[in-house]
Amino acid sequence: MGTLISKFSLPSLPGYEREAMERVAESIEALHLPQDQVERLKTAVAEATMNAMEHGNQYQPDVLVDIEVHLEDQRLRVSICDCGGEKVIPQSKMPDLDAKLEGKQSPRGWGLFLIKNMVDEVNVSTDGEHHIVELVVHLEGGKK
Amino acid sequence: MSGREFSARIRSLTESESSRITIILDMSGEINAFAEERLNEAYSQVEERSPEIIVLNFTEVSYINSTGIALIVGMLAKARKNRQRMVVYGLSDHYQEIFQITRLADFMDIYADETSALTESKAIQKT
Repeated sequence: MGTLISKFSLPSLPGYEREAMERVAESIEALHLPQDQVERLKTAVAEATMNAMEHGNQYQPDVLVDIEVHLEDQRLRVSICDCGGEKVIPQSKMPDLDAKLEGKQSPRGWGLFLIKNMVDEVNVSTDGEHHIVELVVHLEGGKK
Repeated sequence: MSGREFSARIRSLTESESSRITIILDMSGEINAFAEERLNEAYSQVEERSPEIIVLNFTEVSYINSTGIALIVGMLAKARKNRQRMVVYGLSDHYQEIFQITRLADFMDIYADETSALTESKAIQKT
């Protein structure tokens, strides 16, 4: 499990993903990670939190998104947990900008694509009641 | 919780010799779902002036999420349909990386500042 360095919960309301990313960034300040790595993690956290609020908790304000930040050896792990249970987040088609510009694909659908490009690992699990997305950053030899 | 509100301002530049119009869209705040109405409104005003070049100024933009990327894609699609050139400046290194990953950078030249955006995009337009 490593060391828990931060744990907090947020209501499922649009806009709170900004608070999620800022609080995660504050919690890892002491690690002095390169700024670009922090910015990528912030974007991944914000997008995963939006997914949790929207698809997991259906934007019900009183249903919380739980966020934990763990440090284990050379891995920073941020888990984002919603009450979506085994419900699978709809996988949008792989974004194809040419198709989007020609009107053949919706301009939307960038969330998961951004998450996957911003961190080193994305792990998804469920315990039947909760749906958990884990974002992992490798502190040595990770995404540059 | 709406964060830093989005706002947009339009500046119009007309070349005296060719009467070519360039519009600069100065944006500030966060480009997310909350920005959709104001951004679309501003872009409609840009379209009304039929510019040849549209310059998006991101200098005061503090946050762009996936919905914001979709809004930018929507503007770019309209500009291309109208055969208008769209260029950008003022993006942070992080958002420049996102423009590369999403391939927006393949369709919109990215400049460091307004002077280079105006000078170089006009030079390319003339060729």
